[in-house]
Amino acid sequence: MSVPLLQVEHLSKHYPIRSGLLGRRATGTVRALDDVWVTLEQGETLGVVGESGCGKSTLARTMLWLDEPTGGSVRFRGETIGKNDLATLRKEFQIVFQDPYTSLPPRMRVRDIVADPLEIHGPVDGETIPQTVERLLREVGLDPARAGQYPFQFSGGQRQRIGIARALAVNPAVVCLDESVSALDVSVQAQVLNLLRDLQQRHGLAYLFISHDLSVVRYLSDRIAVMYLGRIVEEGPADALARRPLHPYTVALLEAAPSLKRSEPARIALKGEPPSPSNPPAGCAFHPRCPMAADLCRSQRPELAEWLPGRRSACHFALDVPAILGKAPV
Amino acid sequence: MIADPTLPETTTVASSAGAGAQPSLRRLMGEIRQRKVATAGLLVFLAILLIALLAPLLAPHEPLKQNLGDNFLPPAWKDGGDWTYPFGTDPLGRDILTRLMYGARSSLIISIGAVFVGLAIGLVTGLVAGFYGGFLDTTLMRLGDIQLAFPFVLFAIAILAVSPNRTVWHLMAVLGISSWVIYARVVRSRVLSERNKDYARAAQAVGASRWRVLRRYVLPNVWQAMVPIALLNLAYFVVVESLLSFIALGLSPPNPSWGSIRADGRQYMMVDPWMALLPGFAIVITVLAIGLAADGFADILDPKLTQGAFQRQPLTSSMPDSTIAEESENDLLQVRNVCIDYPAKSGTVHAVRDVSLDVAPAEVVGIVGESGSGKSTLGLAIMQLLDAPGRVTDGALLFEGADLARASNKRMNQIRGRGIGMIFQDPGNSLNPVLTVGYQLAEVIRANRAASGDGIRTLARQSLAAMNIADPDRVLRAYPFQLSGGMQQRVMIALAMIAKPRLLILDEPTSALDVTTQAQLLAELESLRAEHRTSMLFISHDIALLAQIASRIVVMYAGQVIESGPRDTVVANPLHPYTRALIGAVERVDAAGEERLEAIAGDPPDLRIVQPGCPFAPRCPLVMDRCWTVAPPRIAREPGHEVACHLYESPGSKEIAA
Amino acid sequence: MLAFALQRTAQMALVIFGVITLTFFAIRLVPGDPARLMEPPGTPESVLDLTRQKLGTDKPLSRQYLDFLSQLARGDMGTSFRGGRPVASTVLESVPNTLALGAISMAITTLVAFPLGIAASRKPNGWLDRATLALSSIAQATPGFWLGVMLALLFAVNLRWFPAIGNAGWKSYVLPVATLVISLFPLQIRAVRQAFIETMGEGFVRAARARGLSERRLLGVHITKVAAIPLITIIGLQAGYVLGGAIVIESIFNWPGIGNLTLQAISQRDFPMIQGTVLITAVVFTLINFFVDLTYAALDPRVRLR
Repeated sequence: MSVPLLQVEHLSKHYPIRSGLLGRRATGTVRALDDVWVTLEQGETLGVVGESGCGKSTLARTMLWLDEPTGGSVRFRGETIGKNDLATLRKEFQIVFQDPYTSLPPRMRVRDIVADPLEIHGPVDGETIPQTVERLLREVGLDPARAGQYPFQFSGGQRQRIGIARALAVNPAVVCLDESVSALDVSVQAQVLNLLRDLQQRHGLAYLFISHDLSVVRYLSDRIAVMYLGRIVEEGPADALARRPLHPYTVALLEAAPSLKRSEPARIALKGEPPSPSNPPAGCAFHPRCPMAADLCRSQRPELAEWLPGRRSACHFALDVPAILGKAPV
Repeated sequence: MIADPTLPETTTVASSAGAGAQPSLRRLMGEIRQRKVATAGLLVFLAILLIALLAPLLAPHEPLKQNLGDNFLPPAWKDGGDWTYPFGTDPLGRDILTRLMYGARSSLIISIGAVFVGLAIGLVTGLVAGFYGGFLDTTLMRLGDIQLAFPFVLFAIAILAVSPNRTVWHLMAVLGISSWVIYARVVRSRVLSERNKDYARAAQAVGASRWRVLRRYVLPNVWQAMVPIALLNLAYFVVVESLLSFIALGLSPPNPSWGSIRADGRQYMMVDPWMALLPGFAIVITVLAIGLAADGFADILDPKLTQGAFQRQPLTSSMPDSTIAEESENDLLQVRNVCIDYPAKSGTVHAVRDVSLDVAPAEVVGIVGESGSGKSTLGLAIMQLLDAPGRVTDGALLFEGADLARASNKRMNQIRGRGIGMIFQDPGNSLNPVLTVGYQLAEVIRANRAASGDGIRTLARQSLAAMNIADPDRVLRAYPFQLSGGMQQRVMIALAMIAKPRLLILDEPTSALDVTTQAQLLAELESLRAEHRTSMLFISHDIALLAQIASRIVVMYAGQVIESGPRDTVVANPLHPYTRALIGAVERVDAAGEERLEAIAGDPPDLRIVQPGCPFAPRCPLVMDRCWTVAPPRIAREPGHEVACHLYESPGSKEIAA
Repeated sequence: MLAFALQRTAQMALVIFGVITLTFFAIRLVPGDPARLMEPPGTPESVLDLTRQKLGTDKPLSRQYLDFLSQLARGDMGTSFRGGRPVASTVLESVPNTLALGAISMAITTLVAFPLGIAASRKPNGWLDRATLALSSIAQATPGFWLGVMLALLFAVNLRWFPAIGNAGWKSYVLPVATLVISLFPLQIRAVRQAFIETMGEGFVRAARARGLSERRLLGVHITKVAAIPLITIIGLQAGYVLGGAIVIESIFNWPGIGNLTLQAISQRDFPMIQGTVLITAVVFTLINFFVDLTYAALDPRVRLR
């Protein structure tokens, strides 16, 4: 079997909670990311979903080594990435952010924004930098004649396209999409999602697509990982996961997304809010909100295990998870 | 930022210092030129600077040349004055005008030099502290604290007092060192906020070195904040320099500076007050000029300082006849032919154009549209909370039969909250950050006399419990920043529901929240509606979301209603090509697979331009010749289902008179 | 809140210690021999040596510093090089005069600046706003020491309404207070105006208005409570400025305060007196900052509770 493009093992990120007279004493730990295992193959899209605070953005940031992980390893094409050899990673792994209004430097021209990565890593073979910039702008559907304009002269969707052009400038192997369409109007989201799919097919890109909305992720993803309180609770092929979830939390996420096919009032899929990651509940972290919770769930934490071929779930009763939570035997 | 901004995000509307754009140096100078007072200040200052620099050429006499025969001459316009010495002479017979010009030289050179010294030290320490953080940051900033925790002028005086010889360099250094902390602090906080911005992170992810991120991304956004501060600092130094000379700690004599001329003059106040007055005026004029220029720059860099208190002018024109004729008993809210404009320098934005819609009691109406479609503007207009200069220019907003656009301010204040409540997109920004949730609830309860005494707390707790908040007592004690976004929005709804409004306007209330929280909130809103029969006007860019809660859907595009009808009809049988595209765009849950999402090509229109035809024509896949020139009529296809599109102009359909 | 206060107290002690040390060395490292200054020119070196011994300036710096610290710990700030007065009591006697002048000026400034600044903020670019800004621009451009002399010339010398120097009853306060107020109010009025304009544009004000709260309640509670937070810092800074700026005003009006004392000490190179005045000024200044921080925390739960 070939080596995966990106392999993440035991990845953890813990933040100490400081208090005391001078704020020096650590009195607890926030486990923003806890023992996460993920792989990403060439040309594949892995969707990562979960509520805010579930650690999905921390996962992206530590995988990129924008934040140093507390524990675990990131391997890129089989090679472990360390603090001192980030150069490859920086060229091969790019990121597109959520907010089209803050992710572009306000005082730089579009041409300079897109050219910046090229100036750092050198021009693409057989092209001058201006040629590459023009090609990239065309590829993302922007008029190269507007390359001399500033970001504020573009609409939200257009600005996100500029961000994508910048990410693609150095021909990366992986692009992390951190809620990249969440701040856009639904109609514009569709444009950008289509563009992302086209670019993926053309360049053989792998995407790490992070979102709180499973329906957005599902369109683009080959596989989906669902995160809850810093851990992956379910992972598997996108279609199979959506058709037969193996974790009640996945069901809740699926039910929460508005759909035109179900135009009755939303079911209360999930009560309450996620607990604090500094003080997670004993046993399964999801048990206080889970309609299926049994005694076992309160005492013992379920490990992420392969229940069906290619399908991993961290639920004691993975195979009993119903398609609709409301009908779960309580 | 899904918020429907009051101004559309199209080209150039944002260019006049809006949209968070930081002006470049050229733009900064361009904008300064539009401000007369600031320009005048800048010019006066430059003129004084020029005179100071050219003093050796311009001055009529030598600054140090004594002429004891001509001492104590009054200014030329006084008795005994002489135009050889326009401003008179001092006790040693030196020409005062000449000394003032040379004085300006030393005063300004010292002050400008000191600003650069302070700026340089502050910039370097601020950048280092902000960028490297940790120990260096702590040390440098504590050092700054110590310096600030002490009147540094005193320190400067102490140092100068014990210096045997005081040259221009001494003074520059001492003054400069006394001011670095201000710059360092501003630079540091700027660096901290800039380098955490997504674009700096993106540069870091691309592999830009720290130095590159600093130089290309952080510094350009830092220096501008320095301009007004440096100017104010300069003005301050002109004063301090003269103060030092005044207490004989400035330049060693006999070199003139404004302060020393003044100090000399002080002794002869009774004999010749002009000698003391003139340098004072010179200082006042210089400092005033610098101050005015600094104000101008500060205004440009922080343009929001021109919005004042909320002001609303009721519409004075009489109601259109059509409105009165169409009145019906059943409707709670009737929006009739409403137009809303935002006058702007680059052209008036016609944000809402001839919009009509109805909301019946206990009905939930959803308005869907893209950013800039005018949906939020309409919501604010119903509340009569439009930010100046936006205003309703025509039409009527009838609430229970009374026109809100023409209601008095007093009447409107009674309707707000009690008749109509409103929930905004960003709950974190909608609650007062320094008041507890309990206080804010109690305040509304008292204002509505909904309860008194112990009842207030009970009611507050109940209203939170009604929103499915598990531990209302904890939330009552909490400040808004201690709550999650979903919890904050629940509090907002609880606040709005206390007065039992008949209508609730919800402007993208769930767009900033997780889908799970959104589902919970929708369920809670639905149960509120069932219990209190509250009508709702739900504004969103997501038609799928509206389909879950609204019974009727209104589709807006470019400030106009292009389709409206019962939820099921609009979703199952959308008529307008735009509505179809919106629905196509959200059907992604089931679109997984190889097929592409239906997307709308192109961008929203420029709302400053009023086109003759259909506003959607440039993006419409089914566009016909007529669409470019003739405005589409409103056509009713089924009961209650209307569309504004030329496609449906057939003999069978009924056209509605506009 | 208690932890917060303790933390600030510790920081405060650190800052005062830093200031003491800095002043001690700064004064001594600058060339200039106090012994030579005290004695008439031409005094033989042997006599100067005796003077140095008496003053303690003959010892190595580190030794002088330790002596100074141990004295200070006992509450002794030494005796003046000039006239042999004990520094501690001389300095402490002058403090109330300075504080009275500063407190009255700050109170008047705040009473003027708040109503005027708020009124101006209601309608930016309205006539009141323009008038206020113009007035404050001019006042800001007028150096305090010049203004002081002009006021003295007009009201004390020409009109003889108020005394020009010293502290002899309430009339003596009028001119120095007026001078201080005129140099203080521009900054404060601008800060008030800016804070209120910024706060009025916040989303929570609009949301509160949408709840039907009265404009009076909006301004009186919602806007003021938030706008006041940054203003606390400004007022604190100004209180510090009064302390520093007192030097000039006090010297012009020959006010028996700490500023005047400092200036005299500096011109006479009276090391113990300089140290004493600087130390006390620093303590008062730090105390002001301390109260500002506490008020800040009391007003802003985001600081207090983090």
